[in-house]
Amino acid sequence: MDKMTLEVLRTGGRKARYELKYRKGMTVLDALVEVREKQDPSLAYRHSCRMGICGSCGMNIQGTPRLACQTQVSSLGKETIKVEPLHGMHVIRDLVVDIDPFLAMHTVVRPYLVRRDLNERDRSDREYRVLSEEVARFLQFDYCIMCGLCYSACPTVALDPDYLGPQAIAQAYRYMADPRDEGWKERVDLLDSAHGVWRCHVAGSCSFVCPKDVDPAKAIQMARVEVLKRRVLRKMARAGSPLVSVAPSGVPKQGTKAPPFDFPREEAK
Amino acid sequence: MNLAKTPRFKAGLLSSLVPFGFNVERWGYVIHRVTGVILIGYLAAHLFETFQLSMGQTAWLGTMAALHSLGPLEMVGLWLVAGSALYHGANGIRLILNEMFGMLMGKPIMPVYPYSPTSLGRNQKIAVWMITAVVLALWLWAGLYLLAGLGVV
Amino acid sequence: MAKESYSLFKESWGMLLTYLTAMVLVVVLTIHLLLESPLTGVQLDATLLFPVARANLIYFKAVFGLLLYAAVIHGVNGLRVIALEWLHPRKRAWLLNLLAVILMGFFLALGSYTLVTVV
Repeated sequence: MDKMTLEVLRTGGRKARYELKYRKGMTVLDALVEVREKQDPSLAYRHSCRMGICGSCGMNIQGTPRLACQTQVSSLGKETIKVEPLHGMHVIRDLVVDIDPFLAMHTVVRPYLVRRDLNERDRSDREYRVLSEEVARFLQFDYCIMCGLCYSACPTVALDPDYLGPQAIAQAYRYMADPRDEGWKERVDLLDSAHGVWRCHVAGSCSFVCPKDVDPAKAIQMARVEVLKRRVLRKMARAGSPLVSVAPSGVPKQGTKAPPFDFPREEAK
Repeated sequence: MNLAKTPRFKAGLLSSLVPFGFNVERWGYVIHRVTGVILIGYLAAHLFETFQLSMGQTAWLGTMAALHSLGPLEMVGLWLVAGSALYHGANGIRLILNEMFGMLMGKPIMPVYPYSPTSLGRNQKIAVWMITAVVLALWLWAGLYLLAGLGVV
Repeated sequence: MAKESYSLFKESWGMLLTYLTAMVLVVVLTIHLLLESPLTGVQLDATLLFPVARANLIYFKAVFGLLLYAAVIHGVNGLRVIALEWLHPRKRAWLLNLLAVILMGFFLALGSYTLVTVV
C-alpha cells in the first residue's frame, strides 16, 4: 500500500478527506499528526504519550472504538480509514469529546481504598500485607487507563446516560476485591441501584475494545455475584457453594483489616 | 466532580442496537432484546386470545376465524415467535450462567500481550455457537411443522 | 459526600425474580410446547371442545398456571428494564415500577380468570 486516505468526521457532520503517503509501521495517530502538521492545522484531536498508556487518543476507527496510537494502519486492511469521535459522548470539536460524564461516574464509585479508622494513617507503624493470591483477584482490573473506549462501546450507556458504565463498575469491583478495603457499604447502594450492575446485559463490547485487557465485563459479573451474595445468597456463600466463582474470602466482612506484617524486632539488650 | 450537575449525553436507541464493528456477543444482545419485545407482544396477544375461551363458543370461534383469515401470515408469524422464544430462552440460559453465577467468564488473570479477554474466550464462544446451532436446528424443525400446511415446505 | 442514590427499590430483588422466572419458564414452556406438538398427536386447528377438555384436568391447569405467572412476571419485568433504560427517570422511577406492577396484575388477572372459568 503506497497511499492511504484518512476520512475524518469534523464538527458539523462534515467529512474531510486527507490523502497521505503510507509508511510501514504507521499508526492512525501518526496519520492524524501528519495531517495536522502538513495539511490541515485546524484538525482537533487528543493525544499525549503515543504509546498506549495515557488513554487520551480514544476515537472511533472503522466503526470500533480504539486508541489511535495503538492502531496500525496496515492492520485495518483498507486504504480509506474512517475516523470519528467516540460515540456516546458530546463532541466538543472534531475528534475531541466531553469525557466529564465518564469521569464523574468513575469518581462517584469511590475509586480508592476506604478505611474505617480515620486515625490509622497518623499512628500506623507497619504496612498492610496483601498476599499475592489476594492481589491476583483484582490486579487485572487495576490496569485501567481510563481511555473511555469501554464507556463508548457499551450499548446500555448509549441508551441510559445514568448508567455507571463498565469502567466505573470495574473499578468499584477492583476496590471491593482488595482485602485492604472496607468500603462495601459506600458502594453497594450505587451498584445495586437501577443504574448499577443490573443494567449490564453482557454484550461484552467493553472487553472487546479495552486496549489493556482489563476485561470490565468480567469485573461487572463478579461484582454482580458479590451483590447477590451480600444481598441474597449470604447463606450459600457461607456454606462455600461451588455455584459462585468468587471465593467468599475474597471480600472480608465489614470492619476487618488484613493482618499486618510483623517486622522482625531487635531484642532489647 | 458533581455527578448530579454533570450534563449527560444520550446516543439513543439506534446506537445501542447497532452491533457492527463489535464482537459476536453484541449481536446476541441485540437479538435478545428484539426477541424479548416480540415475545412480550405475543404474550399480550396470546392472553387475550385464550381469554376468549371464557367468553363462550361464539367468541372463541370468532377469534379462531379472525386468525385464520390472516392466511399464511398466521403460520409465518407463529414461526417467527417460535424462533424468538427458542433464541431468547437458549441465550437467556447463557446469560443466567454469566450474570447469576459468573460462569464462562474466566478468572482474573495477569494481562499478557497480545490481549484476549477471558470473558469473550473459548468457553463463551463455545456457548454462543452451540446455542446458535441448536436454535437454528429447532427453528427449522418448527418451520417444517408449522409451514407444512402452507405448501411452503 | 452526598449519597448518590437513584432509587430506594433494590434492583437485585427484581433481577433475581427475572432469573428465577426465566429458569421456570424454560422448563414449563418446554412442557407446554410438548403438550401441543406432533409427539402427542395434537392438531393446531383447535375447536372449542378440545381446549376445554384439556383445561379441565388439574395437571394442565397447574402447568398453565405456572406458565402464566412465570411468563407475565418475566415479561413485564423485561419491559420495565427496557423502559427504565430508555426513559431513565430520576425522581419518578417509583412510578415506572408501580406501572409495571399494575400491568403485571392486569395480565395475571386476565390469565387467571381464563384458567379458573374454563370448565
